[in-house]
Amino acid sequence: MAQVKVLIVDDEIEFANTLAERLNIRGFETTACFCTEDALALIHAKDFPDVVLLDLKMPRMDGMEALNEIKKYNPFIEVILLTGHGAGLPLASVGNNKHGAFDCVMKPADINELTAKINQAMARRQANLNKGDDE
Amino acid sequence: MINKPGWIQRIFHDVEDYHKTLTSPERYKRFRRILFLVMTATFLIPLILTTMLSYYAYRSQMLTNLRWNAESAKRTIEAFLSEFQNVLVYTVNEHTYKALVDQDSLNKLYHRLKSHYPGLVDLGIIDHEGIQRAYAGPFDLIGKDYSDRECFKAISSSKTFVGKVEMGYRKVPHFAIAVSFFNTDVGQNWVFRTSIDVTTLDKYIDRISTGALSDIFLVSRDGEPLLQSSSQQYGAPLSPYPFELPDNRIGITITEDRGVWDYVVLKAVSYIEGTPWALVLLKHGYLYGKDWSFFKARLFFIVMISTILALLVILRITNLFVSRIREADEKRESMLAEVEHTSKLASIGRLAAGVAHEINNPLAIISAKTGLIMDLLELSEEFKYKPKITAEIHGTSDAVERCKVITHRLLGFARRMDVTLESIDINSLMQEVLGFLDKEALYRGIHIDLNLGESLPVIESDRGQLQQIFLNLINNAIDAIDKDGRITIATKLRDQNAIQIDVVDNGKGIPQEIISHIFEPFFTTKDSGEKKGTGLGLFITYGIIKKLGGQISIRSSVGVGSTFSVILPIKINLSRRMHNGASEGFDS
Repeated sequence: MAQVKVLIVDDEIEFANTLAERLNIRGFETTACFCTEDALALIHAKDFPDVVLLDLKMPRMDGMEALNEIKKYNPFIEVILLTGHGAGLPLASVGNNKHGAFDCVMKPADINELTAKINQAMARRQANLNKGDDE
Repeated sequence: MINKPGWIQRIFHDVEDYHKTLTSPERYKRFRRILFLVMTATFLIPLILTTMLSYYAYRSQMLTNLRWNAESAKRTIEAFLSEFQNVLVYTVNEHTYKALVDQDSLNKLYHRLKSHYPGLVDLGIIDHEGIQRAYAGPFDLIGKDYSDRECFKAISSSKTFVGKVEMGYRKVPHFAIAVSFFNTDVGQNWVFRTSIDVTTLDKYIDRISTGALSDIFLVSRDGEPLLQSSSQQYGAPLSPYPFELPDNRIGITITEDRGVWDYVVLKAVSYIEGTPWALVLLKHGYLYGKDWSFFKARLFFIVMISTILALLVILRITNLFVSRIREADEKRESMLAEVEHTSKLASIGRLAAGVAHEINNPLAIISAKTGLIMDLLELSEEFKYKPKITAEIHGTSDAVERCKVITHRLLGFARRMDVTLESIDINSLMQEVLGFLDKEALYRGIHIDLNLGESLPVIESDRGQLQQIFLNLINNAIDAIDKDGRITIATKLRDQNAIQIDVVDNGKGIPQEIISHIFEPFFTTKDSGEKKGTGLGLFITYGIIKKLGGQISIRSSVGVGSTFSVILPIKINLSRRMHNGASEGFDS
């Protein structure tokens, strides 16, 4: 099975890099971006990634805006929101309606919980792609 | 715009000054005193003024009536006298001297006049030497000498004369009216006189007396004052009149005397021109004598009783009014304190959430870094300090985990809570909550009593959040008890809009000095061993209850136990709840 490609977008550089490294160790192909603009540019330039870990609170373009842009460009890219802020939690608690995000995880997140969520997101992406192919 | 204080504000000056003396008992004492005085003055001043005005109006009316009576009586008596004088003048003018001194014709004249004027006693002709030459009447007075009598002396200086009342030769009180005429035979002035009985005068005066007067009589004006007619008060004619007459001889003089029982007697004196008389009218107050003193005593009694009653009523109203104001002030003060407390908690909540958020990001980095180190240690081969480093990193990771629990709970408090409303039977909810806790209670030997109110209405609220509230409260109660205690959970209808749930424990209780802090974040009394708390349980409980439109209060005594009372609305007022949420600023 091909490596799952994960893009980590967080303005906390240390956090993004460290998380990328930990996910690498667990067999994911990771890239870290430190602002939403760079992340969108990267998504437009390459057919990349499968899953985006997206921090909600960022300078200039925030996570919600970036989420909309990503979904507009490619609805099959799964996005898991990360938040260090209480405002993210309602998204986690509203069930299926998550503004298109797969889920929302509160920082600091447990690595096992996070990898499980990434794998679930990847499974949904695969299912959606297969459904798209069938149609 | 500055409002100038009105006079009422100036009277109640420092009573109005709420902020300086809000709870001071002195303030209410002063307020009660001022209010009492103002109300008493408002009652008494009009009473006194009305009484005084009525008294003076009554007196002035009485004086006017008396003056009018005196004028009228004086004119009537003058008319009475002038009628007799006119009869004499007419008789003298219409008859010759000879006809008048002739005894027979005088007798005829006498009988004719007597038939018209029954009060006329006799007629007489007196010559210039004072000897009565002719006489017609019931007595034998021919030849009597009148030269030293007043009527003879006075007539020489005027044409007509009215005399004082005297006994005379007849020994019956009477007075004389006389006119002088010129006797052409002797070339001298002779006198034609008549006597009038005082009883006639009395009858006449009786006729002009009215019920409004107490007494009316005539008094001789010169020399010692003697009664000239009968007086009810001073007796028969010629009795002495015990008062001096006024010097003013023109018009009517009115004086006020005090009678025997201190009653008021008004006296009007008027001199009657062309006579030796003064007319005296007496008028008592409407009541006099014993009646007056009885009336005064009764009036005094009534005024005293009504004043005492009014003072009692004013005192009662004042006390009631002041105590109501005091209650309102105290209520206001406690509401202000509650608002202050709520707003303090809201500020602390915002601050705590802000701090939690700021800490959360570096905490995420530490967590990620320690995680990475652990990952790398697992991948690396054995080396000298690997077990030690692994243990230390695990210790760091545990500490981060503890921090994470705190920041997540704080952020949970601060985040916007979407309330999912549903219909809830509070009794079954309490039983659900106890389902989570009964094992813990059993294990610790704590007995839980359920005292659930019957037929409570179904309330509209958020089930999950209510569960969290009561889990927190019952957990706290269990922790307060240690072992072998008792917890009572009671539900009841508070009023038609709210229900109340009491969680009562017989644990160690909370000292009064820290009760006001128990809803603050990080405030905890569970400081020993395993049970060390985060100090966020009640803080979060408080926040949820406020969000659900409810209230929480606590009563506690050390050594006896604590009672937490939660009041929940039966129907949540959504707009009010949202307003409260916005003002508390928990939805950052």
